[in-house]
Amino acid sequence: MTAEHDDVRDLLAAWAFGALPPDERRRIPPHLAECESCAAEAEELRETVRLLDGAASDLPERNGGVTHGTASVLSAARSARRPAAPHVAAHAAPYAAAVSGLSALLAEAEGRWGTPVVHDWDVHATVAHLLAADEHLAVLLGLDSRVPASRTDGADWEAAWDLRTADVIAHEYGRGPQETVAAWSAQAEALLGTPEARDPALAARAVTLMGARLPVSDHFVVRAFETWIHTDDIGRALGVPVPPPPEEHLWQQVRLAVRILGAALGPTAPPVLLAVTGGDEWVLGSEDEPVRAELALDPVDFCLLVGGRHSPREVPRGESGDTDAVRNVLELAASLAWL
Amino acid sequence: MVTPVTEPAHGTEKSSSGDAGLHRRLVYGDERALAEVYAEYGGLVRRVALRVTRSTGAAEDVAQEVFAHLWSRPYAYDPRRGSLRTWLSMLAHRRAVDWVRGEARHRKDIRADDDALHAIPEPGPGPDETVVDRERSLLLHSALAELPESQREVVHLAYFAGRTYRQAAVELGIPEGTAKTRLRTALRSLAETLADPPDPALERGA
Repeated sequence: MTAEHDDVRDLLAAWAFGALPPDERRRIPPHLAECESCAAEAEELRETVRLLDGAASDLPERNGGVTHGTASVLSAARSARRPAAPHVAAHAAPYAAAVSGLSALLAEAEGRWGTPVVHDWDVHATVAHLLAADEHLAVLLGLDSRVPASRTDGADWEAAWDLRTADVIAHEYGRGPQETVAAWSAQAEALLGTPEARDPALAARAVTLMGARLPVSDHFVVRAFETWIHTDDIGRALGVPVPPPPEEHLWQQVRLAVRILGAALGPTAPPVLLAVTGGDEWVLGSEDEPVRAELALDPVDFCLLVGGRHSPREVPRGESGDTDAVRNVLELAASLAWL
Repeated sequence: MVTPVTEPAHGTEKSSSGDAGLHRRLVYGDERALAEVYAEYGGLVRRVALRVTRSTGAAEDVAQEVFAHLWSRPYAYDPRRGSLRTWLSMLAHRRAVDWVRGEARHRKDIRADDDALHAIPEPGPGPDETVVDRERSLLLHSALAELPESQREVVHLAYFAGRTYRQAAVELGIPEGTAKTRLRTALRSLAETLADPPDPALERGA
């Protein structure tokens, strides 16, 4: 037995599959002509592949790139899952996508609704919480609430928020997870169907929600943010990694969070240059020169910090300069979390 | 207080491109991503389904099923575990084999699907060559669908997707020698299935 024999024998399967580069393909016939055992094996493997091929001439294969059938394939797909709500304005697009993303993830939750997710919520309760959380904007935009009202008179927004979540979760535990998902999904669709979701001019109106007076368009971005963060929570609980929102939507959320953070920091805090990886940089705090510190964060990590999913101490970051000034920014960012 | 320092210039395209980028867009309900995946892999999926089913109608159905599955259950595909090309090809193959088994089940003269795949055609005045080949082909495709995933991946790239074993190795991130060995192990075990088809009676423990 020669080295050539061993080499060729090892190549025979790839050769039979037609998967040899030309230089190696040329080595096969001369060896088969003089080696009976390889010739027999080659014949057997070739015959196996021939049977896998079938009578190739019978196959009505089409030429060129297959673009035909696109419409039927897409329409079959669409009947299995609707695309993210089209025709919404840019400010509502992140929420439309986040809703679609959570629906897709919940298809994986079947049989695992009781998996603990975050706080003392399981998957079912987390969806119920989103039903409650989205409801505040829904009611503000004139939609009806889908769960009997709560008695929240006199409570501040945080207490009212928590109470509403508790009531809705209790209510939803009285029915199956699929019904909760349907209620959440229908409310989300209704929100995306409001004139404010489609018309930036209407969405420019400032309203107070969750203690923050912001344009309706920003509240839509906040809904996207909360939906994504909880989708990510559920994904971690189920062991299914959730990709971050599409780039453009991610940045809408980053920019809004930076604005809210800047407002919370106020005009006298020691100035910190915040660089969010991938493009944007801002000076937070006072306009005094020079900045006291520089802080660099990945956009997803920044969102997870603001969403309370990273602690200020552990969030991956680059920093230089005054550590107290940096800590001040990080701690304030984390304190914005209400999720 | 917020002072923007730079104009927005989002340059991190790496996470938006490739299979992970497509997956991200599919997850978030971007229908254009599905159209892109179909334009790229629709031909491969149909070709695989046609090889197994030998029916354009069935291949069409399998293609619809495969892409509807990717779209409605985007989390069934995990970009960290392999390429979309391989995943779609393997799914199409599996669904096509299931289709053939389902067809067999519908045929009145055949008792169980496994028998259908292993059945010897009616004895007659000399076996019809193409019918025998057809049965043997189904037996092989059925066996292929049962190979370990590590072997199937290489077979799909090298055979259905027309890659050389070296290209397949690069795509799978494995050494060339490993790709070569897996192809050999896979094809040898298929050849042996043919030489010694599983006996349905033995499999039933009779």
